[in-house]
Amino acid sequence: MSAVLDETTATLEASVLEPPKDREGRQRGRRGRSRGGGPTRRTTGDWVVLLVAIVLGFLIAVPFLMILINSFKSPADYSTSGPLTLPTSLYFDGIVAFWERVDFPQKLGNSIFISGLVAVFAVALSMFNAFALGIGRVKGRLWIVVIILLANMLPQEVLLYPLYFMFKEVGLYDSQWAVIIIFTVIQSAFGTYLLASVYGTFPKELLEAASLDGASRWQILWRVVYPISRPTLSVLLIFFFIWTWNEFLIPLTFLVSNDTQTVPVAITVLQGDRLMDVTTTSASALLGLIPTLVFFLIFQRTLTRGITAGAVK
Amino acid sequence: MKHTRLVGAAAAIAAAALVLTGCSGSGDSGDDNVLRLWHYEGADSAMGIAWDQAITTFEKETGATVEFEEKSFEQIRSTASQVLNSDEAPDILEYNKGNATAGLLSSQGLLTNLDDVVAEHGWDDRLSPSLQTTARYDERGIMGSGSWYGVPNYGEFVEVYYNKDAFDAAGLEIPTTIDEFESVLQAFTAQGVTPLAESAAEYPLGQLWYQLALSKADRSFVDDYQLYTGDVDWQGPEISYATETIKDWTDKGYISTDASGIKAEDAGVEFINGDYPIFFSGSWWHNRFATEIDGFEWGTFLFPGAEMSPGSAGNMWVVPENAKNKELAYEFIDITMRPEIQALIGNNGGVPVAADPADITDEKSAELIANFNALTERDGIAFYPDWPTPTFYDQLNAGLQELVNGTKSPAEVQQQLGEQYQAGVDDIVG
Repeated sequence: MSAVLDETTATLEASVLEPPKDREGRQRGRRGRSRGGGPTRRTTGDWVVLLVAIVLGFLIAVPFLMILINSFKSPADYSTSGPLTLPTSLYFDGIVAFWERVDFPQKLGNSIFISGLVAVFAVALSMFNAFALGIGRVKGRLWIVVIILLANMLPQEVLLYPLYFMFKEVGLYDSQWAVIIIFTVIQSAFGTYLLASVYGTFPKELLEAASLDGASRWQILWRVVYPISRPTLSVLLIFFFIWTWNEFLIPLTFLVSNDTQTVPVAITVLQGDRLMDVTTTSASALLGLIPTLVFFLIFQRTLTRGITAGAVK
Repeated sequence: MKHTRLVGAAAAIAAAALVLTGCSGSGDSGDDNVLRLWHYEGADSAMGIAWDQAITTFEKETGATVEFEEKSFEQIRSTASQVLNSDEAPDILEYNKGNATAGLLSSQGLLTNLDDVVAEHGWDDRLSPSLQTTARYDERGIMGSGSWYGVPNYGEFVEVYYNKDAFDAAGLEIPTTIDEFESVLQAFTAQGVTPLAESAAEYPLGQLWYQLALSKADRSFVDDYQLYTGDVDWQGPEISYATETIKDWTDKGYISTDASGIKAEDAGVEFINGDYPIFFSGSWWHNRFATEIDGFEWGTFLFPGAEMSPGSAGNMWVVPENAKNKELAYEFIDITMRPEIQALIGNNGGVPVAADPADITDEKSAELIANFNALTERDGIAFYPDWPTPTFYDQLNAGLQELVNGTKSPAEVQQQLGEQYQAGVDDIVG
């Protein structure tokens, strides 16, 4: 945790005030210091914190371990020995059956398509909104933010019917674009709220300097504000991607045809009226989990920079 | 240009996705010779196998093509009213029976009235009266009377599954009366075995409770309870017997107090791995037991000493009002009612509604279907305890959990359930 904080602070200072070359130097210095630094003695407090962290980490990991164990178990094995034991032999039929039954690569493509576009569109929209609200300081911005936030605060069940009728009228029912538009708006509501407050603390001197040099508003946004808030935007992009990926209710409602559906919607195929197939359901959960995990691992360096890293002191 | 990398990556992903999905326009097929069909049965389940054959037969006989999509139960349950109200409605789909589902949609005019078609094809002659209940809805959407809006293909009911090896080892016979059943339970308890695999967190204990009430009830009680034809006496002999017996069996150790936190899936698994010798639950387990139990012999019998048991016709074919090819849909339903398709349901572990018993070759399936036919012949299908109101499933489970873990007495539980039931029914009947 403290490492993350350290790096956040480092990025904070580095990203605004120093050219990249210098930053590397600083980091090297920092590492050197901690490695060769004086004898730091671990107190009992440190050990307690470490222990609590390990226990917490384990508790968080338990459901994933259960999924992992049961994905490779045959139904008969599950019925005789229960969910907690290790499989007696590796069994891949559950994964294969689910893969073929729902045409998994197609669902994966749909999910990536929808989540990817939503993430990009929503970040762009949030940035424009926040530029107007946080830096442009338009009148009544507080109320504008509150109204925009309604999209986030209302439960999706409430939005479902109005959205259904609207999109049916314009002929986008049963289309992925309906889902993309809805989530672009919903995600950008949160993004606007967050970015507007980040931009609210943007150093005036930088903006004034830019206008003195004759920069237009567009140039200020593109040349000054965007580069400095880039770490925050990247984090938002990742969150929007993962949040949209995991959405269920609205995709379930709007994606009627099987060939437009997303991964979480496809997983429900396995749940019957009364019976559930635990091992195949585990396998499907595992398959649904892997893409987000991979995505997270690729971009986790960006995440650790912290969500408010672009905020300047 | 490090900063463009992330945006670039995201754009690349989006672009790749575009290519992957291609132009995913669903394409509206108003073709005259296409039947758009949805159902949510797995491909290797009894209904899945039988309906697959029905599709082949249908295509051969009519020359039309079937555009089949396997839907999820969850999707049809939660989005049917929206889909059927749009141009995306299929020509025929499997839909859930009941007031809150088919009943509601029929009262909203989203389902096609099938009265004429049913009479023309004689489907009503092949379905016994208690199976017709869930296919007919009145103008308020309440089942039991009025017009036909669906045609069920299969049935389901609740029976006793027992471990033959455990019965033999203890020298026990199949009980034929409730007293004999209780002495079987007593015999196992005396050996230190909890006899009943039960779950109060989900439907099993509620169904046992209802079964116990049914053993003291007649058809008019069921009509009052399920179809709101009269008031239900929640302190009367039927319900008092059920609630007090559950309490009594828990006290005697026939039902474990742990049951309050156990789910149906876990109770079934406890029966499969032989921990508990008796499991009272539905025919939907039959196929799973047949494939997954290999450590012991097992069998089934109807709940002893009762004329009626929980059960109903299964989910059914409905034709949306917005369907484009209704004639083809009727044709398809007729094929699914044929003896050879019905026999396929029966031979794969399902419960057909109109099969010729002579066509059922599988021994275990024959036993199952014989039980079902015995029930329907004596008009013994009594539906499920949670049907009357949308919230009663959770209320009943909560009440029985309190009964099993001893926080409330039978009288208190009855009183509470009675009030909840009445409040829910008043909302519906008005």
